[in-house]
Amino acid sequence: MAGPSWDTSRYLALFAGEAAEHLDGLGKDVVSLEKGATPALVDSMFRHAHSVKGMASSMAFEATAKLAHRLEDLLDTLRADVARVDSSVADLILQTVDALGAHVKAAAANEGLPDSSALVTKLAELNSSLTGKPMPAPSAPPPPPFVSEPSPPPVKSSPSAPAAVDPAAPPRFSLKLKINPGSNQPGVRGFLAYKRLGTLGNVFDLKPPLDDIKAGRVPQGTITLELETDQTEDAITRTMRTVADIELESIALVVKAPPAPPPSTEADPNRVVGQEPARTIRVRTEVMDQFLDQAGELLLATARVRELSRGMPEVLRPPLDEAVDRLHLLVKGLHDKVMAARMTPIAVITDRLPRAARDIARRRGREVDLVITGEDIELDRAIVDELADPVLHLLRNAIDHGVETPDERKTAGKAPKGKVTLTVTRQRDRVVLELSDDGRGIDVERLKVLVVERGLMTPDQTRLLSERDGLMLVCLPGLSTATDVTDISGRGVGMDAVKRALEQVGGTLDIETRAGRGTTFRLSLPLTVAMVNLLLVGVGQEVYGLPIGKVSGVVETARERLSMSQNAPVLQFGQSVLPVHELSSLLEVPADDVRRVQSPFVVVDADNGRLALAVDRLLGQEEVVLKALSRPLDLVPGLAGVTILGNGQPVFILDVARLVTA
Amino acid sequence: MVDDSVFMRDIIKDIFAAGGFTVVGEAGNGVEAVEKFKELKPDLVTMDLVMPYRNGIDATREILRTDNKALVVMCSALGQETMVMEAIEAGAVDFIVKPPRAEDVLAVVKKVLGEA
Repeated sequence: MAGPSWDTSRYLALFAGEAAEHLDGLGKDVVSLEKGATPALVDSMFRHAHSVKGMASSMAFEATAKLAHRLEDLLDTLRADVARVDSSVADLILQTVDALGAHVKAAAANEGLPDSSALVTKLAELNSSLTGKPMPAPSAPPPPPFVSEPSPPPVKSSPSAPAAVDPAAPPRFSLKLKINPGSNQPGVRGFLAYKRLGTLGNVFDLKPPLDDIKAGRVPQGTITLELETDQTEDAITRTMRTVADIELESIALVVKAPPAPPPSTEADPNRVVGQEPARTIRVRTEVMDQFLDQAGELLLATARVRELSRGMPEVLRPPLDEAVDRLHLLVKGLHDKVMAARMTPIAVITDRLPRAARDIARRRGREVDLVITGEDIELDRAIVDELADPVLHLLRNAIDHGVETPDERKTAGKAPKGKVTLTVTRQRDRVVLELSDDGRGIDVERLKVLVVERGLMTPDQTRLLSERDGLMLVCLPGLSTATDVTDISGRGVGMDAVKRALEQVGGTLDIETRAGRGTTFRLSLPLTVAMVNLLLVGVGQEVYGLPIGKVSGVVETARERLSMSQNAPVLQFGQSVLPVHELSSLLEVPADDVRRVQSPFVVVDADNGRLALAVDRLLGQEEVVLKALSRPLDLVPGLAGVTILGNGQPVFILDVARLVTA
Repeated sequence: MVDDSVFMRDIIKDIFAAGGFTVVGEAGNGVEAVEKFKELKPDLVTMDLVMPYRNGIDATREILRTDNKALVVMCSALGQETMVMEAIEAGAVDFIVKPPRAEDVLAVVKKVLGEA
């Protein structure tokens, strides 16, 4: 069959992305099969296979299309009689999903497609044994050309098309607010009211638009909006009563809450129909990166204009400042919108986990229930991408090292089946992922022994560690708690990488463990990566930025008053004594010749504990747009990025965690 | 009560005293503010925007990180609208405008504390 007349290469990335999503969906469905095959579930699988087939044949990947077609046939047969799905059938389907995944990967890399003819035969054999019909001859003609069977559109239209009003949506209230005419800064008042309502639910139809409100353009001080919320009218009224200078003039229910859906659909683990978002377009991630980059540049350019205006004659300044303020608001608004557009539900990575958990548990002879909640919570795409490997690694550890074998569990008086939970929650401007197992817990004392055995610390050093720091030893490079040294998923190497990946995106890791009861890994992540708060410090002629998140405090004292310990200066900070490092010597730049009487010391959290950095000057703080370093600067240890200040000066942002080991 | 100006702290302190409130602690910068907050756990914090070491927005963020139910009211001047909105994004519950007028300050504080 001749390839399609249009140039398929333009669509290759799109094909690869979407096909992979369908295959993930399929894999997830297969795992759900173990809880019992339902017609809806097999139907969902059938549609995934069908989509992959359609896309592959559109792209003229015929081997891929053929494999997907055989899978589709098999699923079509099973659809009619789901009772025939057993574990051997499930295994064959999984095997096919993996093979299709390999096809898609090869296609995306412009490599030759793998040979799957054996699998095609197996699928056909199974299908014909189920239907009693003869299987297609090996030399059977290729599946009908795709023109006769158009591939499904990227946005699936669900069979039960949602009505104009989403029946699952919470009730909506129509609200009218009035800002007290005597109020100072009415724009901020309005914004405050909007924000407060936003904590109760989703705001729609805001009039005037938010940017106008923020700029103080609120005719007659009246704001109208609709609020979609699960809260009662009373609760809304009470909340608005705590906002000064805002009166809730009226509130009315606009949409009656529909009766709750029957519990049977609620309990259906397979969200298959009617839940697609209304309208979406697909945009390549790089395009979104470029948007963000440009919006960030705009912010920097605006800051530069503001800085320049300071040098203008007094008469010119007020109108100029006003114009710059307005520009800043608009640009900030644009930046926020670009950020919002980059938000991706964490489901993108968690969807793969049930399948992974099943595979790992099977290989390691464990029985595990994985429960995931909060996968709808959204994060910046860049962070979600960075999380995929760490989360998988933590899951592997939890099953491999945390959860005991069924026999061990029985002996310990536990249910033979272990439980692993992944809970995602939004906590203000952070997203927290908690991965907990109910396994044996981490033995900190054994960890310490290992650390000493490997020569990574002295016994005295390990004795002084707090409980938390003791647990964090699992993140030391080159450490494994697995008794078997050949163990592939040894905790050490990987945990080091997990911690590093988290810190790259501004996240933190916490571990809690209870012997015999289990372990919880808590990942706290920022919603976005692009903005960072810096403490600006001066060393000699240079200015550097330290991420505020890593700064625990600032102490000003005379250098002569520092205590000495083993010939090295130390700083008293709260209850603890911290090593002092001269930032100038760490960075190998000259410091001020004449030292001031009182020198500032910045206390920071580094990988190997807190320490104090001696600097020449504190220059205040600034929220900046973080820009990644390009080659070869990204290879320099101790640098996390770069930014440009309002005055046009480029400033390096220091990677505090790695500064001292560097 | 957080403000780097002792003068401003005195004015606000007098307003609070007249309104029957007790000022349990004062701080002159954002770092101190966070430490004092952890120590004193006040019912409400008033927070200046522009201060040395750690500005009011970051201090607010940090305070809410220690206690997500903390009530922080920003003190701002005219012309600082953008910063106040940033503070509100960071979790501040309300704001008062400097120079502070007794009735405004007390009205806002009572509202926030649910006493009005």
